[in-house]
Amino acid sequence: MRLISRTEALAARRSVLWTLVIRDLRVRYSQSVLGYVWTILDPLLMSLIYFLVFVYIFKRNDLGHEPYFLFLLIGLLAWQWFSGSLTDTSRALISEAKLVRSTNLPREIWVVRVVVSKGIEYVFSLPVLLFFLGFYLLQGKTHLNGWLVLFPFAVVVEFIAAVGLGLLLAPVTALITDMQRVIRIVLRMLFYATPVIYSGQLVPQPYDKVLWLNPMTGVLEAMRAGFFEHDKLPIQWGAIATSAVVSVALVFIGNTVFGRLERPVLKEI
Amino acid sequence: MSTSQVDLTGPVIAVKDLGIEFYRSRRRRMQLREMLFHGRSGAPRETFWALRNISFEIQAGEAVGLVGGNGGGKSTLLKMLAGVLLPDEGEVTVNGGVAPLIELTGGFVGELTARDNIYLTAGLHGLSKEQVDEHFDDIVEFAGPEVRSGLDTPYRHFSSGMKVRLGFAVITTLDEPIILVDEVLAVGDRKFREKCYQRMEDLLVEGRTLFLVSHSEPDLRRFSTRGLYLQRGALMMDGPMDDVLDRYNHDLDATR
Repeated sequence: MRLISRTEALAARRSVLWTLVIRDLRVRYSQSVLGYVWTILDPLLMSLIYFLVFVYIFKRNDLGHEPYFLFLLIGLLAWQWFSGSLTDTSRALISEAKLVRSTNLPREIWVVRVVVSKGIEYVFSLPVLLFFLGFYLLQGKTHLNGWLVLFPFAVVVEFIAAVGLGLLLAPVTALITDMQRVIRIVLRMLFYATPVIYSGQLVPQPYDKVLWLNPMTGVLEAMRAGFFEHDKLPIQWGAIATSAVVSVALVFIGNTVFGRLERPVLKEI
Repeated sequence: MSTSQVDLTGPVIAVKDLGIEFYRSRRRRMQLREMLFHGRSGAPRETFWALRNISFEIQAGEAVGLVGGNGGGKSTLLKMLAGVLLPDEGEVTVNGGVAPLIELTGGFVGELTARDNIYLTAGLHGLSKEQVDEHFDDIVEFAGPEVRSGLDTPYRHFSSGMKVRLGFAVITTLDEPIILVDEVLAVGDRKFREKCYQRMEDLLVEGRTLFLVSHSEPDLRRFSTRGLYLQRGALMMDGPMDDVLDRYNHDLDATR
C-alpha cells in the first residue's frame, strides 16, 4: 500500500511540513501589513457584489438560505481555500523546483504544504464569518442548530479533496506546460458548477446528482447546515455522503498518479 | 539527521546495477495544445542512459571523489545518492542521513531576513529550532562578518557570494554522517574558500563520509583517498585517487 507508506513518511517529517507552512505564512504576512486584509477582502467583496447583483438588481431572495449574505460568505471563504489550493498545488513542484531538487523529502510534502497553508489562512479568515454571524444572530435573522457539528467534518473533507486533486495535478502540470491555463479555466467553470452563489436544491433533477460528484457541493452543504433553517431547503444528505466518498477516491487516484509520475517529473524539473 | 539509524557493520552507501535513462532533447515538456492538435506530443522520444550498470560500496569514513569529463554522469550520480533523482534500474541504499551541498541557496526566500532563512533552511533539512539555536552563532560566524551585520535585512539584498556562504554554513552544520559536495568549493573569495577547505577537513577528521564531485585535481587529491572514474555513464575505474587521476589524465591525453 503506497498510500500508507507515504503517509507514514510524511508523518515522520511533519516538523519539516510545519517549517514550510510557517515559511508560507511568514512570507504572506511579512510582505505587507495588509496581508491579512487581502485574505479576507476578496471573499468579502465578492459576497457583497453577488449580494447586490442578485438581491438588489435581480430582486431574487430565493437563491439560497436567508440571510443570503451569510450564505454567500460561507461559500466564498471555503471556495477561496479550494481554488487557491488547486492553483498553487498544480504549480507546487515547479515553483519550488530548487528545493525539490536539493532536499530528500517525501515529494508529497510540496502538495500537502500548500493545502495546509491555505487551510490555515482559511481558519484565520473565520473571525469575519463569526462577525457577520453575530450581526445576523443579534438581529434575529438566523439561528444556529446542532448540525454545526458538520462544519469541522466539512473542513476535513475539503482538505482531503484538495490534497487528492493536488497530488493529481502537481506532477501532470510539471510535465505538461500549458496545464496551468487549463486549470485556471476549469476552476472558473467549476465555480459556477459548485453551489456557492445558489443552493444545490435549486438544481433541476437529475442534474443535481451530477453536481454531487463535485466534492465541494457536499462540503458547502455540510458547512451551511448548522447556520440556517431547513424548512424550505432541507439538507441534502446525499451530497454530503457523496463528497466524502469522492474526496477519499481522489486521494487514492492522486496518490497513484503521483507515484507513477514521480520519476519523470524529477528528471524534468 | 542525527536520529537516523546507522548500520555500523555494513557499507554506508551501496549502489547496485544502477541505471537512469533520460530523453535526449532538453525540452521534453509536453504541451496540451500540441497533444490535441498534432496527436502525439511533438517532443522527440529518443533516450539515452546517463548512467548504467554502476555498482560500488562505500564504507563509513571514506572520502570518495568522482572523476570524469562533462556529461559523464557525475552530478546525476550524486543526485541519486541524495535521493533527489530516482533510478530506473538497480538500487541505491544509503544508511544514514545526508547533508547535500547541492543547490546551496535553494531553500532561501528573498523576502525573509537572513535570520529567518537560517532557521527555515536548517528546519527543512531536519534540524529542530533548539538545534538551530545551539548552532546559530557557529553558522553566522562561519558565513562571515558581512552576513552577521546583515542578519536582519532581507535575504534578497545579499550579494551572491554572501548567499552561497550562508548556504554552505547552514548545510555543513547539519549533523549528518554523509556529506555530498557538488562543485561548491569553487565559490567565494580565496579567504572563504580556505575556510571551506578547513571545514571539510574537520568534517573528515570527525569520521564523516565524504562524496565529492569536482573538476579540480588539487581538490580531489586533497580530500579524497578513493576515486570513481565515470565516462559516458559507465564506471571505468574504482581505486586509489592518485591511480584514478593518472588513468583519467592518460585517457584525456590519448583522445587529444
